[in-house]
Amino acid sequence: MEQVHLKVNESPLSSQSLIAEAHLGAGLGLKTEHLDDILALPVTGEACAGSHLWFEVHTENYFVAGGPRLNYLRSIRENYDLSFHGVGGSLGYDHQSMPEHLKQVKALIDEFQPALVSEHAVWSRSGGAYFADLMPLPRTHDALQSLIEGIDRYQSGIGRRILIENPSNYLDFTSEMDEPQFLIDAAYRSGCGLLIDINNLYISSKNTGIDAIKYLSQIPADLVGEIHIAGHDPDPELGQALLIDSHASEVDLPVWALLEHALSLFGHKPVLVERDANIPPFAELMCERQTAQSYLEQLRSNAA
Amino acid sequence: MAVSAYIDAFSVYLRTGNVSGMNDFCVNAEHLKRMSVYRNGFYKGCVDALAANFPMCEKFVGSEDFKNIAHIYVDHFPPKKGTLVGYGQNFPDFLDDFIVGLEKQPEAIRLSPSLAGLAHLDYAWLMSLMSADTTQALTAEKVTWLMNEGCDFTQAVVKLNASVALLQVSTGALTQWIALKTDSREVEQHERNVSELNQNDTPLPSDLVMFWRVHGSVQVRSLSVPESAVMHALQEEGGVLEEAFDAALALDPDFDVSEFFSACIQNEILEIDMAKYEHNK
Repeated sequence: MEQVHLKVNESPLSSQSLIAEAHLGAGLGLKTEHLDDILALPVTGEACAGSHLWFEVHTENYFVAGGPRLNYLRSIRENYDLSFHGVGGSLGYDHQSMPEHLKQVKALIDEFQPALVSEHAVWSRSGGAYFADLMPLPRTHDALQSLIEGIDRYQSGIGRRILIENPSNYLDFTSEMDEPQFLIDAAYRSGCGLLIDINNLYISSKNTGIDAIKYLSQIPADLVGEIHIAGHDPDPELGQALLIDSHASEVDLPVWALLEHALSLFGHKPVLVERDANIPPFAELMCERQTAQSYLEQLRSNAA
Repeated sequence: MAVSAYIDAFSVYLRTGNVSGMNDFCVNAEHLKRMSVYRNGFYKGCVDALAANFPMCEKFVGSEDFKNIAHIYVDHFPPKKGTLVGYGQNFPDFLDDFIVGLEKQPEAIRLSPSLAGLAHLDYAWLMSLMSADTTQALTAEKVTWLMNEGCDFTQAVVKLNASVALLQVSTGALTQWIALKTDSREVEQHERNVSELNQNDTPLPSDLVMFWRVHGSVQVRSLSVPESAVMHALQEEGGVLEEAFDAALALDPDFDVSEFFSACIQNEILEIDMAKYEHNK
């Protein structure tokens, strides 16, 4: 394994991410079918959804040389902050082709200046093949080292700090530490932050029996740079015994409850409502987003 | 535990469905069947991407047959890059071989030879859509400027912009592709024509088709023989305009150079590096 440039004890928060956390409210995953609705939103005045609204995109969907897809994103960026959420970086393993990947990520970051950049604490590449899904890492010291190396390469390649997201777990693999410890070690040793996906955590708790409340209590608030919430569905064969991270339905009540608890621990953090399948009308997603926003506003009023 | 051993076993499972290698890494053997979530996710992501990248192919064969074919393609050509944007570069040629392979199996289903042509057209459309934006389009204003500066613009070196994609497909394939895109009945007529030609072992005649993007929208048309000559002369590094048009006139002395050039200008198909002309001013 190659030498990793450890950043132990370095402050995990850059001034850039502190600013992002302070002004971003609840955001939505950007869907091209909602473009006209978004552009029709008032951006000034009382009817404005507020400067708190922002949009997240899957970075790799914009690996194009030009054309309308980039132009859509430019039109959104004129009025809203963006978050770039990578799904193909394979931070956990096989970093050989990362430089080419990161060139494209960096070009997008340079143009769009997203408020947040994130990836996943998983692997998706091996033996020259890209498996196009988010595969869990075993929580071992060797896997941790590989993940840290991947984060280090990613951050060096794009020239800024990233957040890494906790995976959805469907079964338990041999491990040498629990997931909070694994992620916290990765964060402190690489200088990255954490994106806590509350839906992933809820699914993992149901599928593998981990204690979600205890999990959240272990995460240092100052490591958290973003929170995700989404819908899940029961497995077609196993039903409620196996929940699938589908992003195909509205956010479930227990996930909202877990979000509220997480915010009480972490304080104000940007919250993203994800939806990637069975896309409803924009107004419907905005209602869910408004619920998340109201949680953040309640937090602010409580603090005041 | 070495992470490489775990990932090797996981990869074998994803590629083959053989889960036995994961026994050593799974805490609860009864949960091994849950590994299918990851394998299903891998194939679904790839097959959905192929359906998105080859929409007329999917429409032509139907969703279920397309999924089955796409699944086999993923086995042969898994993605290499960390994105599914543009995934399926080998799909049209794969279909060519796949269709021939099916014909050698008496019991196998039959797929229309048109399918590969549709795939070529789908992919060319996609490549044109995602190509780099042009910043050096040869416009009427630039032609006028060159003339006012005393430059003989017919001696200018121009090239096709990045969105231009040229491809050879069997005659009628483009009509069929457009018919699928617009839900027209011409699809059925083309299928009958292809079927009749196949029965006679007659080589399918072919057309040169051009895709290009203007104002964010991809356009397509078939090219005549002299038009093809112009486009070929201006491909890649480009060429001198006069030489490109001479090549067309050699094939058809009645070719209307002026009309075709105007169409190229209006559609912003040509690029010119004005810097050297402005520098020589």
